[in-house]
Amino acid sequence: MSQPALSTAFLALLRRDFLLAYRRRAELLQPLVFLLVVVTLFPLGVGPSPQLLAKIAPGVIWIAALLATVLSLDSLFRSDYEDGTLEQMVLSGQPLALIALARIVAHWLVAGLPIILLSPLLALWMNLPDAGVPVLIKSLAIGTPVLSLIGAIGGALTVSLKRGGQLLSLLVFPLYVPLLILATSAVSAAVSGLPYNGQLGLILAGMIAALTLAPFATAAALKLSLS
Amino acid sequence: MSHTPFILASYLISAFVLLWAALAPVLSKRKLVRQLKVRHTRAQRSDVSQQHMDKT
Amino acid sequence: MNPIYLFFHKTGSPPWFYRFAGKLIPWLWAGFVVLTAIGLYLGLLRAPPDYQQGESVRIMYLHVPAAWLSMMIYGMMAVTGFIALVWRIRIMEVLTISSAPVGAAFTIIALVTGSLWGRPTWGTYWVWDARLTSELVLLFLYIGVIALYNAYDEPRKAARAAALMAIVGAVNLPIIHYSVMWWNTLHQGSSIGTSGSSIHPSMLWPLVFMAFAFKFYYGANLLSRARLKLLAQDHRKRWVQELLSGKEK
Repeated sequence: MSQPALSTAFLALLRRDFLLAYRRRAELLQPLVFLLVVVTLFPLGVGPSPQLLAKIAPGVIWIAALLATVLSLDSLFRSDYEDGTLEQMVLSGQPLALIALARIVAHWLVAGLPIILLSPLLALWMNLPDAGVPVLIKSLAIGTPVLSLIGAIGGALTVSLKRGGQLLSLLVFPLYVPLLILATSAVSAAVSGLPYNGQLGLILAGMIAALTLAPFATAAALKLSLS
Repeated sequence: MSHTPFILASYLISAFVLLWAALAPVLSKRKLVRQLKVRHTRAQRSDVSQQHMDKT
Repeated sequence: MNPIYLFFHKTGSPPWFYRFAGKLIPWLWAGFVVLTAIGLYLGLLRAPPDYQQGESVRIMYLHVPAAWLSMMIYGMMAVTGFIALVWRIRIMEVLTISSAPVGAAFTIIALVTGSLWGRPTWGTYWVWDARLTSELVLLFLYIGVIALYNAYDEPRKAARAAALMAIVGAVNLPIIHYSVMWWNTLHQGSSIGTSGSSIHPSMLWPLVFMAFAFKFYYGANLLSRARLKLLAQDHRKRWVQELLSGKEK
């Protein structure tokens, strides 16, 4: 029996993931609603002063994006693990890193991309000055793939555990620290009229590094969870 | 402000943490060996009784 | 047989490692005690107070070596973890997970002494200073590794998962460290630093002695933790049974 080409397998996996995502779309909305709720809590918690909100806006929006991503990470491999699909994928002979990458791309498209689309609304709520909005969108556009890529390693490590969700956040949040620092400082710099390309460039470099390394780490973690 | 209490506290807390980290494996090893020995002798005794039963 | 191969074969064997580590541990403790005695004598009695920090500089003789070691142990975990994952050597799995609590202990020491140093120097126990912040993140990384290990039921699988997490964390650790340092310069003016100015030899020597003393402590504690893990994992194997019956006599 001949193996299908890598790209064929990759696209087939993506299509399957989208179909599954479409069938349980209500579940996918939960992290986004969570994102909106978390951002709403901040003005209620710290007061509606526009200056204060504008000052903390980049941090608040980014932290809410981190929380929402981690919330959706737990289900990244879980259902495939529980119904045995993951095992079949490993046995299919296709490289496991490729399978992992397809899963990560699908996750970003259904969990990361909506955050980017919602971010102008969040910026409006948090009174982020106009100069910061394009940079916020840019930083999310190159930063959310990093969230999915690094998060997938944590998701794969905890997939065989009964209560993996809490552990997952403990594993993944420290790894997000550099991204949070760079992204929020880029937005703050743009608001104060300072150059921000350096920070965005570093995030981009981080994304490329994560893109090349994380699928292999995820594959190793999946193999370990299945052993 | 006198610095002495802070220096003293640093050294005491560090000593405590190091002592605790050093003693933890020693104590749990002692416990483990005791448990294993009990299991060991029990297994031997049952072996002996088994042989005894076989003979009779 | 090739002597190098033989060495790896031997150290890879649990009974041999158990005996070897047992012989080595007392020497490591002795080294720790001697070096600590010299380091404390030099640091507490001989070294002069700092012209800027005053007497509280003596806390640095604990804080700096502990902070160095906390980073080094994480690196060691990644190295042994990598060997464990690639060559599937069980001793390396055991060493990886045995390093974690020791590293966490040194991280806690670095944090506590850092904040106790901060009270007289900065006037507050906690400042989001670069070193303290990256130590705090490091503590979370250690706790993550330990929690992951504890979450698995099967010890070998648990150790391999922890090893993988340690490697991922170690790849990120320099990035975290430098991003936190950069973040710190961004958000606040310079506070009294410990680096930059050249250190006078009377302050350097106690630092060096304490740093080596802590490394001996790490070695001794690591080996005794590894011995415990091996004993627990192998309690049904013959070498443990023989060891136990030997001790009974």
